[in-house]
Amino acid sequence: MRKKRVLLSPLDPVHDIGLKMIKNALDEAGHTTFLLPPDVTPGEIVEEALDKKAEVILLSRTLGYGVAELLGRFVDLIEGAGIRHQVQLGIGGMAIKPELAAELGFDQGFGPKTPVEEAVAFVEGRNYVPTQEASTKKKGNLLRERTYDYHHEEINSLLEEISEKTLEWYREVDSPGVRRAELREAGSAGGQDYLELSSDSIRDFFKEGILPSGLRLIGEEEQKSLENVIATGRVENPRILQRQPHQPLVFIQYGTGCPFMDIAHIKGTEAWGADGVVHFDPSWGAKTEGLLAGLLSHEENGSVLSEKNLELIKKALEKSTLWQVRAHRGLNTPETVLLAGEAGADLTKINPVYGSLGGGTDPERLLADGLKAMEYAARYNMPFDMPTNEELCGVPAFKAFAGMLIVTQLGLALGAKPVLQPLFCYSPEMMLGGQMEDNYIDYNAAKVMALRGIIDAPIWAGAPIGFLTHTEERVQSAVSTSFHAGMAASLDIEGISIASTDEAYSGGPITLPARIDTLQGTGEAFRFLGSAGMQPTSRAEEWAEELTSNILRVLKEVAKNGSFLDSLYQGILGSKEEGAYPGRNGRRTVQKRR
Amino acid sequence: MDAKTRVVDALDIETFLICKNEEEGRRISAGLMESMGCSDFDLVYIHHEGIGARVRIRAYVNRPGDRYTWLEGGEKDA
Repeated sequence: MRKKRVLLSPLDPVHDIGLKMIKNALDEAGHTTFLLPPDVTPGEIVEEALDKKAEVILLSRTLGYGVAELLGRFVDLIEGAGIRHQVQLGIGGMAIKPELAAELGFDQGFGPKTPVEEAVAFVEGRNYVPTQEASTKKKGNLLRERTYDYHHEEINSLLEEISEKTLEWYREVDSPGVRRAELREAGSAGGQDYLELSSDSIRDFFKEGILPSGLRLIGEEEQKSLENVIATGRVENPRILQRQPHQPLVFIQYGTGCPFMDIAHIKGTEAWGADGVVHFDPSWGAKTEGLLAGLLSHEENGSVLSEKNLELIKKALEKSTLWQVRAHRGLNTPETVLLAGEAGADLTKINPVYGSLGGGTDPERLLADGLKAMEYAARYNMPFDMPTNEELCGVPAFKAFAGMLIVTQLGLALGAKPVLQPLFCYSPEMMLGGQMEDNYIDYNAAKVMALRGIIDAPIWAGAPIGFLTHTEERVQSAVSTSFHAGMAASLDIEGISIASTDEAYSGGPITLPARIDTLQGTGEAFRFLGSAGMQPTSRAEEWAEELTSNILRVLKEVAKNGSFLDSLYQGILGSKEEGAYPGRNGRRTVQKRR
Repeated sequence: MDAKTRVVDALDIETFLICKNEEEGRRISAGLMESMGCSDFDLVYIHHEGIGARVRIRAYVNRPGDRYTWLEGGEKDA
């Protein structure tokens, strides 16, 4: 290939880095280049082109004002000088659109983010073929290399004591939720025995075909159309948000009500860098005994848990996407984990403490069901996280953490892999106590430091990070998520759940662009920080120590009480005064095992 | 009163379009703005991946130096 003489000139008052990069690539390829300084007039460029006997002229323009007139004048001058047929003209930069360049008589226009290689191909008269790199995105490992070793002996021994007694109780009990899961396992979901253990709405559906209000069955034709969209919309080149291995995996939560809209959101968020997606079911599902069947759409928030809905969603997921189906707070906890495991979910969510103190389910029922669910989680090798959302009711973090650590030990004893989920939030405790008046870093950092000082377990902050810091204004909302994501990266935690910029908007469904907003913000936070990080003040360490000693005190109280379950009712892990109310759904349904 | 005349400078449409590629996304964006009666528009941002494109489409109502529609007596075709 013949080497060429190339004149490069920025048509701006300042230099364009893009032209310098192209010059370097052309030099490396053996071409002769002449880079003019900034702020040169079109007339001077033409003179230089004549003087240097340029065969190619590459211009750049960043500023948008008057760009069409300026470039039009340049082309006129080139034509006036009689060299238009001797030179190839290329123009690129932020202000350039390929269609505008063509309209003005340039041979090629390069829009923003054009690869340097494309400009080199233009100079060399080659067609530019983008390198089709196979996506390198792999499914993330939320557990990393965490060992589950305890660093705090006294807490470890209390947890073992509480856990052993709780498991002794569990081996003696049974519940409709546990029995339905066992029937589902035996292939009898929807059968007579199953329906006897279910709510009226579930019986009406299976026996009479009556759907609860707001639900509809999705037709086959609709499903086929959706499958076509999915087939043509595979995410070939998903964005990878993390720049460093210590930066956390990023999860979004979906549950628009309709599995089709969920899939549209999932595909969009996968493309924009989500590492995992979390299935949210309707709130009434937590109060209903039994699960529906079929491909079902729901008019309100929360997507129905059914085998077909989950199958369809699974089919749409990219291989690199982690999928969590949550099961932490209702009367179908064991069945949900079983269904999730069968559908191929990677993760689930179980926390009998939050589910019973803040989620409305009776503690006894949810403890029995939660433990059964942990057995399924272990069987399907699905790590489960334990959200400590009771903090949002007003329960102090140390009490929520004491409960979470008990559940951690129970999960470990049952062979499962628990994931700690402290909230990165502006909780009522903080509002009243003022720990976050100065900054949002110290107290959240203290939570992570306290947990890390107790056990080497994976941490997935949630859910979503920045809870109660978001407003309806989208920039504020995205920035808040972005800062919290940066903090999570600085604290070396394994995962985060992020909100959309619709987090504080309650007037209607969340939109996909609102989800993309915060993924972009999170990516920018990771890019901004790289290996650097946010630094808490010395208060974080003091608060971490305070949290640890308070956790220890609560665990001693639970051990002294002798029953984890009774401690839930007695308010040791969150009292009514603090805002924790033992739930009533499913009360008195736990029986002695038959 | 045409509500659009009170827009200080521009309307931004932020959305996600289901489309096969960026080119189709551009065409749909143009069609969307035309269907909304906006003739002076620009596609500020478009990025296609997977099932569609995230776009920010801008319809200018008043550009600096115009006789602004929001000034008394300044109405023009928005």
